[in-house]
Order: sequence, then C-alpha cells, then structure tokens
Amino acid sequence: MGETFLELKGIKKSFGGVKALRGVDLTVNKGEIHCLAGENGCGKSTLIKVISGAHAADEGEVRIEGKLMQNFSPIDAIRMGVQVIYQDFAIFPNLTVAENIAMNRALESGRKRMDWKESRKLAVGAMEQIGARIDPDALVERLSVAHKQMVAICRAILGEARLLILDEPTTALTAKEVESLFAVLKKLKAKGIAIMIVTHKIDEIFEIADRLTILRNGENAASGDIGEFDRPAFIKHMTGREILETKYRPENPDREEILRVEGLTRRGAFENVSFALNRGDVLGITGLLGSGRGEIGEALFGLAPAESGRIFLHGKEIRIRSVGDAAAHRFAYVPEDRLTQGLFLERSISDNIAAASVRSYFRHGRLQHGAIYDAVVGWIRKISIAAPSPAPPARTLSGGNQQKVVIAKWLNTDPALLILNGPTVGVDVGAKADIHQLLHQLAQSGVGVIVISDDLSELVQNCNQIILMRSGRIGLELESAETDEAALSGMLNGKVRKEGS
Amino acid sequence: MGRFLTRKNLTRNEMLVVYIIAALSLMIGAVNSAFFSMGTVIDTARSMLVTVIFALCEMAIIISGGIDVSFPAIACFSLYSTIAFMNAYHIDSVAFAFFFSGFLGLLWGALNAILIAKFRIPALIATLGTSSLASGAILVISGGKEISMIPPSVDALSQQFLFSVTNASGVKSSLTVFILLPAALCLLFHFVLRHTMFGRGIYAIGGDADAARIEGFNVFRTQCILYMAAGLIIGIAAITHAILMRNANPSNLMGSEMMVIAAVVIGGTRITGGHGSVVGTVLGVLLITLVSNNLIMLNVPNYWQTFAVGLIIVIGTSITSLRAKRIALSPKI
Amino acid sequence: MLALFGIALGIIAIMAFADPAFLKGSNFRSMAFQFPEFGILSFGMMLCMISGGIDLSLVGAANLSGIVAAVVILSTGGSIAVGIAAALLVGAVCGLFNGYLIGQLQIPAMLVTLCGGQLFTGLGMAITKGPAITGLPEQILVLSNGTVGGVLPYALLLFILIALALGFLLKSTVYGQHLCLMGSNPTASRYSGINNLHVTLLTYMTSGILAAVSGILILSHYGSAKSDYGMSYTLLSLLIVVLGGVAPAGGRGRVSCVALSAVILQLISSAFNVLRFNSFVKTFVWGLLLVIVMVAQSVIQKEAYQFLNIRRKNYEKDHQQA
Repeated sequence: MGETFLELKGIKKSFGGVKALRGVDLTVNKGEIHCLAGENGCGKSTLIKVISGAHAADEGEVRIEGKLMQNFSPIDAIRMGVQVIYQDFAIFPNLTVAENIAMNRALESGRKRMDWKESRKLAVGAMEQIGARIDPDALVERLSVAHKQMVAICRAILGEARLLILDEPTTALTAKEVESLFAVLKKLKAKGIAIMIVTHKIDEIFEIADRLTILRNGENAASGDIGEFDRPAFIKHMTGREILETKYRPENPDREEILRVEGLTRRGAFENVSFALNRGDVLGITGLLGSGRGEIGEALFGLAPAESGRIFLHGKEIRIRSVGDAAAHRFAYVPEDRLTQGLFLERSISDNIAAASVRSYFRHGRLQHGAIYDAVVGWIRKISIAAPSPAPPARTLSGGNQQKVVIAKWLNTDPALLILNGPTVGVDVGAKADIHQLLHQLAQSGVGVIVISDDLSELVQNCNQIILMRSGRIGLELESAETDEAALSGMLNGKVRKEGS
Repeated sequence: MGRFLTRKNLTRNEMLVVYIIAALSLMIGAVNSAFFSMGTVIDTARSMLVTVIFALCEMAIIISGGIDVSFPAIACFSLYSTIAFMNAYHIDSVAFAFFFSGFLGLLWGALNAILIAKFRIPALIATLGTSSLASGAILVISGGKEISMIPPSVDALSQQFLFSVTNASGVKSSLTVFILLPAALCLLFHFVLRHTMFGRGIYAIGGDADAARIEGFNVFRTQCILYMAAGLIIGIAAITHAILMRNANPSNLMGSEMMVIAAVVIGGTRITGGHGSVVGTVLGVLLITLVSNNLIMLNVPNYWQTFAVGLIIVIGTSITSLRAKRIALSPKI
Repeated sequence: MLALFGIALGIIAIMAFADPAFLKGSNFRSMAFQFPEFGILSFGMMLCMISGGIDLSLVGAANLSGIVAAVVILSTGGSIAVGIAAALLVGAVCGLFNGYLIGQLQIPAMLVTLCGGQLFTGLGMAITKGPAITGLPEQILVLSNGTVGGVLPYALLLFILIALALGFLLKSTVYGQHLCLMGSNPTASRYSGINNLHVTLLTYMTSGILAAVSGILILSHYGSAKSDYGMSYTLLSLLIVVLGGVAPAGGRGRVSCVALSAVILQLISSAFNVLRFNSFVKTFVWGLLLVIVMVAQSVIQKEAYQFLNIRRKNYEKDHQQA
C-alpha cells in the first residue's frame, strides 16, 4: 500500500452526555480500500462527520497527510481532498449530469460566468476516467440510483478527491451495479486515491476491502488487513459476543396453508411467481435488487398490485388491488425505509403504534384513548422498546427501537400475514435478535411471516423456506436446512456471472 | 432546423403553450378578423408590459423554491409613495422617479429576504405578511385615493413612442418606448439564470437547498440578493405602470398575483422549484394576456370573465403539474 | 395555550387603560357577533393546514355559497332553510373540487386553492353580474344578528358548537387521527393503510362547508350577497391559525388554541374600532402581527431543535451555518 493519508488518534466526541466516540484510532493509506464496519450506533456516522469537518472532535487528533487539522470546516476538508458521498448523494435533480459533475470545480474557481462547454468537457473527462456511460445532458432526475451515484463519484473525482468516503454505497444497487461500482473503486485505487467504505455487508467487505476497521460502542474493536479476518471473528468483533448461528425450525405439526400465490405477474417487476406459506413457516425471499424480491412484497400489500395471478388466503381466493384491500385482509407490511415510509417521526410512539389500527379503537362513538394507551404500553413491554413512556416523539428513538415501533404498529392490527422488507437494516444486534425471536413466535402462532432481505445470514438462520428470485422469476426454492450462507451467496452471485445478464 | 424539430423539443412545455396560443389566436381571429394586425400586436405588447416584468421576478423566485405574493402591494406602495413624494417636494426628475421607486421596492424586498432567508419563514406566509404591511401602509398614507397629477417630465415619457400603426378604421396604435424595459430584462434574466453561477445557484437551491449548502453555495446570500433585486425591479416596474397609466393608484395592482403566478406556472416553471425559463414565462404571460383581453371577442360577457380566466388558469396549471409528475414517475435511465 | 390566554388578558388590560369604552358590555356584545364569521373560516384553514396543505379559496367559497343561498331563497319565494342547504352543498362541492385536485392529481395545495378561489369568486361574479343581491326576507338577519334569550348570539353559539364538534373530530375520531398522521408524513400514512385521498377529500370538503357556514353568516349579517365581501379574511384566518400554533408543515393543531386565537384577533380588531383606526390600518397591523408571530415561532423552534438529535441533514445544515 501507499503512505498514510488519514490518521486519527484518540478521537472522542460526545453529544450532550451521550458518548458517541470514546477514543477511536484509524489510519487510511493512499491507494487502499478501507472498510469501516460496525453495527448501528457504533459511531461510524459520527466518525465520518469528524473526518469531513462537519463536527469537531472533543479530543484527539485528525491528521491529513501528516498535517494536523484543527477546527476545520467541511470546505477545509474538501480542500485537503476529503470527499464524502452520502446515501442521498446531495446532487441536483433539476440540473444536468454535466452541470452536477462540474459544479464543485465551477464553485471552487470562483468564476462568475457559467461555462457550459467547459463543464461538459470536464464531466465527460471524469466519466471516462471511471468508465461511466451517462448522457451528460440528461437531467439527473431521470437517472437510476446507480447512475446518480456515479455522478456523485465523478463530481468527487473532479474535485480532486484524495480520500473518497462512501457511506453505505451499495444499499440501493443491483448486483451488476455493485460490480460496476467496485470496478470503478479499483480504478481509483490504482490512481493512489484512498477509499473508505462505510458498510455493514460482510460479503462485500470481504470482496473489496484491503484493510478493515471495526467499531463497537464508539471504540475500536479491531483493525487490520482483510486477510486477518474470517466470518466468525468478524461477527464477534462487531457484536461483542459469539453469535450462535442456529436455524429456525417450525415446531408444531399442524401445517395448514395460510397463503398461496399462483402465477403472480407484474410487467417489468416479476413474472409467474408461485409459492405457498404454511402455518409455522417463515418464508424468506431474496435475490439481487431488481430481481423482484421487494416488488412481490409491494404487490401483496397492494402498493403496486400484481396484474395477473391468483392469491389464496386460508384456501379462499382474494383480490389485492390496493392497500385498502390488503388491510382488509389483515396483511401487514414493514417497509424498507422506516424513516420515510414507516414512521411518523414527529408524532408520539403511541400515535405511531396505533397508526394502522385506529379504526379498531372507535367504539361507542369515540376513540378509546385508554385502550390505546394500554395496548401501546403492552407492546413496549412485550418487545422491549427502550422508551420511558409512549409519549416521546418517534424520532428520539434509536434505529432498532424505531424498527420495533413499526413492527408493533402492525402487530397491533393482529395481522394474518406479516411481510417485512429488510427488517433489521441499521438495527443493532440486540434488537436484531429480539426481532428475529418475535418473528419465530408469530410464525408459530399462526401468522404468516415473509421476510424479504439481502442479508443472507439472517435468512438462513431465521427462515425455514427460502425463495431466490432472479430477474423477476423464481430461481430457486430451498429449505434453509439444506443450505448455508456461503452456498446461498454462491447461488445468488455465481449463477448471474455465468449468465452474463 | 432539423436538429430543432426533434420529438423532445416539439413536446416541450413551451411548445405546448405556443400551440395553445396559436389555437386561441385562430379562434379569436375567426370572430374578429381585425385581430391579425400589427395594431393587435402593439396593444397586446402594451398590456403585457408590466406583467412580464412582474412575471420574470416571480419566475426567478419560484425557481429558487420560494414564492412571492407581495409584489402587487410592494408595487402599489412604491409607485404611490414616489409620485406623492415628488409632488409634495416639487421634484421633477425622471431619474429620481425610477431611483426612488426602485429603492422603495428594494427595501420591501429586503424585508422579504430577512423573513425568508434569515428566519426561514415559509415564503408564502412571509410574503402574505409583507403584502399586508405594504398595502395597509400605502392605503393609510393615501387614504385610498389615487393621484392623477404626475410630474411633467415623468409624464412626458408616457408620450414617447417607438412607432405607430394605423389600422383600416383609422385607429392608431402606438408602441410605447417602455417596451424596451421588459425586453432588456428578459435578456438580463436569461443571461443571469443561464450563464452565471449566481443564476445556476438559484436553480440549485430550488432543486435541493440542503445539497446547495453542502456544495458550497451561499444560500443565504443568494436568497437575499434574489428577493432584494426582485424588489428593486418591481419598484421600477411599478413606476413604469404609473407613468403609462398616467396616475398613481394605491391599490389597482392588488389581486394580480394570481395571474402572474399562473402565467409563470403555465409557462413551465414548476411551483415546486428548480425549473423555469424566460421564454416559457413570456409565453405564459402572452397566453394569459390574450385570454383576458379577448374574452369579449369570444362573446364572453363581462361578469363571466373572472371565472373564465380562472378556469383557464386551473386547466393550464393542472396540465403543467401533471406533466411534471409524469416525468418524475417515468422509468429511470 | 396559556400564552394565548395571557395575550388575551393583556390586550383587554391595555385597552381598558387606553380607553375605558372598550370594557363596555355593548362592545363585548358586538365582538361576540363579529368574530364567528372569520373564526369559523379559520377552522377551515386549520384543518387544511393540519393535513399539510392550505386553503386560500375559503373566502371565495364563502361568498359563492352566500350568493347561491340568496339566489335560491329569492327563487323559492323566501325559503331560508332551502337556501342554507344549497349554500352548504355549494361549499361542499367547492371543497371536493379542491380536494380532488390536491389529493388525486397531486397538484400543490397552494396553487390549487389560489386558482380555486379565483374560480369561485368568478362564478359568484357571474351569478350576481356585479352588484349585490338584495331583497331578501327579513328573517335572514336573525342568524347573524339575533340572540338566544337576548344574551347569547346565535353566531357565537354556532361557533362554540362547531369548535366542540371539530375538537371532538380531531381528538376522538378515526378521521382526526388519520388527518394528523397524514399531515405528519403522507408516505408513511399510505404505507400504514390510511387512504390519503379520502382524508384529503374529507378535509377540503369540510373546510368548504365551513366556508359556506361563514358565507351564510356574512349573508345574514349584511342582508345581501356580494362576490367580494370579506376579502381580508384570508389573511386574517391564516394569522389566526398560525398564532394558534398550527404548524404550516402539517400534522399538528388544536381547536382550543385556534378558537382562542380568533378571540384575540377580535379583541384587537375591536380595539382598533374603539381607537378609531380605519380598516387600512387594520390590514397593516394584521400583516405586522403575522410577521411577528412567525419570527417569534421561528426563533423559539430553532432553540428547541438545537438540543435535539434529529436527522443528519438538519444537523449538517446547522453546523454548516455556524
């Protein structure tokens, strides 16, 4: 590897009494891809903000290329070559690709005139450097997420980034797009640019990282070359405990059919999907993004209904044409993005938990607030939501607790079918275990449970049936007993490479 | 020419407005053949004059993600105060009239700037407040009465014409020299919005204000300059209006915010911000002006006119909003 | 809420000091007749704001309803009940029009109601052909000018009843909960099984009906119907709602605070009458108050937010500016 570009020593940062970072060390070298891993709440985001100048550390040293940085702002960090690409990219949907890419440079140069020719030239040049093929005159709002990310990266390179920090870059990418991204990162690495990827995806870390730093509870848990780690060690450092990797098995013998779908099709999303869910099953659906895995969930919940096919609930055929239909059949859906889709951040925990079942509390001509209170308190206790009372707004909760609130919202509707899309994304390990246990209990008690996820270990351990989607069709159906995470990963990725699609 | 006639260009928002204007013109011309004459062009230009200036300012503000409903009130305040002041102190200078009115507009624009940029008050509510302040103030000062005496050298400007035409029935239409003002402003706005970083900053802020901040745009400064410049230009437009109308009325511009905003939106500027063009805005104003001037021609009785204009505005803005939504939902490349 | 009470008492105290005529029973009496007109309008504005939108067409709808009522009354030979029913129907239709464009076609509320207001006013003008409609039977004046047992004006009674009904609606009905949730996060409300379109339609329909009630009161007050009565009421109701603590972003609002806020504004309005300020000054002061209230709220909110750990974007924004 190259020389040190970034060095952090003993970084401490607190927010009003909460110690986010308790003395973190980190080094990133030029020309290396360094992954920063850790569970939600471990301090990853705060560390990034310290590096980028958005926050000032309370204690500790930040050195960029040997130079001690003190009281520096984001613009200072950018001048030193530190560029962060956040999950929402901070690009302008109403401007062209070329303008977005060249924007940094234009602003830096302090010029008053907008030079369109120059911008276009710079943009095309940047795109060539990384092999991106995007129409420079297209408005960014028409681009896919992957291309938007490319635009953000081009912008960063043009800004002469020496350290590129990517925050969870593969969340919304298909496998092919992830490959393209990694290819781009490798090209940049070859140019001597330091790259730091913040991620929780173990597989990707092992694929792309040269070195690795794991944070836990605001402290260094481990760091070193990627070769020094294997999966169990990795998990142990991230979570601080040995995770027993067990697999879920339904217990009771009564296996009546809860849900059956036949030939579900929606053009452009999925085709001819059929499966059955029996009592006690936890069905996992996975596949690369774009394979239809998320779309099936949306179809079952009526958000984007299937165009043809049949759905049977307890043997009776039903039609799902809208969210209203789904709710009427007591289907529940825990969405991918809890902040924008699942929660009412400004409203109380109580309002959130009652949000999907308000109607059921309307008795004797008025809403029974007492009953709502009792129910909410009950859920807080039952699934261990860390909140002092039902009153505080949902935004005050941690990610794991927020997810529990969303789940409680649906559990309060006494669902017949619970679909969860990415149920433990950004959730700390304790809450993750709680949620998984809850799903098992629900399945045992006769609720249909479908888990849509890209976290293969989660699926293998918590589902007894797994469906692998490929390009909108069912690729494979397996019992989790017959497979493990590595094999699953191979099936997911290997086959795609061979087909070259 | 072939490069211009692509499907994308032919279905652009601005072209749609052109089609509608064409259709409308044909309809009006069918009823009144005198419509297709230079006289009509001059008369229409005259009607549009001040509205175009207002619309340009409104467009820029809406592109930046804001909105301004205070401009009629600011205009009334500026023009009346200027004329009253000049009459009271016997000042008879054209330069003074423009500077003073522009300055007053600038001050009100500064108030908008402070409320919106510094205190982050939603633009609609802030400018509603400013509107009341300005219109209330000027109505108190004026007692609700208009001034018909304009200082002579200023008034003389209203008689300066570029050229005139006389139509078949001997009616003379003259194009006032003031037409140069909106023409110049169109070029200025186009240049600033498209070819300066300040102008691109306006689009950037309208696209994503937070991203603009992170990128290094000085959002605060841009918004301040924008609202203040708009105020200045509105002040100038206001005194122009007074000169052309040959009186200073403290309230007759009130209520025009609707038409101006509608014209701007129909011309392709999205109310949500980030999009808009000078050409589209001018076309939008042209459409609205043609409609309101010629409803009589189409046999729409007087008392139906407000409704008719309102209906057209509703339809026009609905179409533009739907188009914007369709683009947002279309498959991504 | 306490703050508002304080303000109300403060104003009364100041006025009592400035001009004892203010405290006369007759003054309070006339206030009680006046404020329900715009107070009820404010409730309509409140509902729309809680839903995350706004309704700038309320005055237009009110006048249109009043005009239709007048026309119906005259053409049915004096049947006031039918006229009132017609007015309410018109208000509902106006509201549905707004609600449909906003809820189904997803056009921003500001634009829809601005244009809608123009449409309604224009329709009113088309019906009246200009001058006010007069010649209504005497009984029409009773509603706005009459009292129960000589003490409680019908208008005030109506206001109180509506306030109670709306308070109940917001707190204790399914719709009320759904409204607050949708106003807080329309995406999450859709994902929670709430029918956003229904909520929007109901909301604007209700505000339309409230506008119609106000229009009937105005009709009753003046004994005639015109297309441009109460033009300043739009700003006034916005001011009342903002002062009453309803967040322009949506999701929050209390009927009691808005009601009290309406009373406060009536106090100020009467104070102006007693002090012999003309209506132009009133316009100026309403604007000033709106600005002051918004600035104050902005400053207070900023303090509050700086303590709280909210989403990254806001954090960065605050830090960037610091």
